[in-house]
Amino acid sequence: MEKFKIRNNIRRLRFDRGEMTQEALAEKAGVTRQTIIAIESSKYSPSLELAFRIAQAFGVPLAEVFSYTPEHDQGNSS
Amino acid sequence: MSNRKTEITVSLVSTLAVLAYYLVNIFQMIQGGGLNSAEVFRLWAVVIIATIILNIAGNIITNIVINIVHAIKTQKGEEVRMLEDERDRLIGLKGDRVSYLAFSIGVFLSMLTFALGQPPLVMFSLIVLSSLIAEIFGDVSQFLFYNRGA
Repeated sequence: MEKFKIRNNIRRLRFDRGEMTQEALAEKAGVTRQTIIAIESSKYSPSLELAFRIAQAFGVPLAEVFSYTPEHDQGNSS
Repeated sequence: MSNRKTEITVSLVSTLAVLAYYLVNIFQMIQGGGLNSAEVFRLWAVVIIATIILNIAGNIITNIVINIVHAIKTQKGEEVRMLEDERDRLIGLKGDRVSYLAFSIGVFLSMLTFALGQPPLVMFSLIVLSSLIAEIFGDVSQFLFYNRGA
């Protein structure tokens, strides 16, 4: 079975919003800055609820923030 | 270092201090002719109370220091967000699991000494020792989980 990985575009989305700080995003999503750092660097996969909150903070659909792609595929990572 | 990591470090240092105190006293008793039940019971009481007080005091002092450092850094009077999110809870649970496993092994080994003919005082002393070691294992594992991401 092929291995899949959760990737995210948080870094790009923050950049697109005038270099939104991790602290500002953390406050909007209701988590600590350390959790945002861990998610952004793909060290931690958030719960579905938190993933929706992050997408809501950016005002975009969930699929624009997170993707579930094969591990060897590097195309959609931040 | 994040606030949670600082809190874990303080807890780790205080537990290590209590463990050192416990081991020094136990070895002194052994060198002085074996474990005396009255002294051992007093030592357990001191260790349990010291662990609780040091952890509470450590947490309070850490939070005060974190707030002071934050106020100096930001030059504002606002408080630090001491938020516990899903990742903190997950890491806390994982740490508890490691701690529980270490304590279970400790209790098993302690009972083994009793089954092999050691007095009950030795068994209970080892159970107290394993509880302190389990606490340390839990803190160290939490620290490692924070470094790894979760």
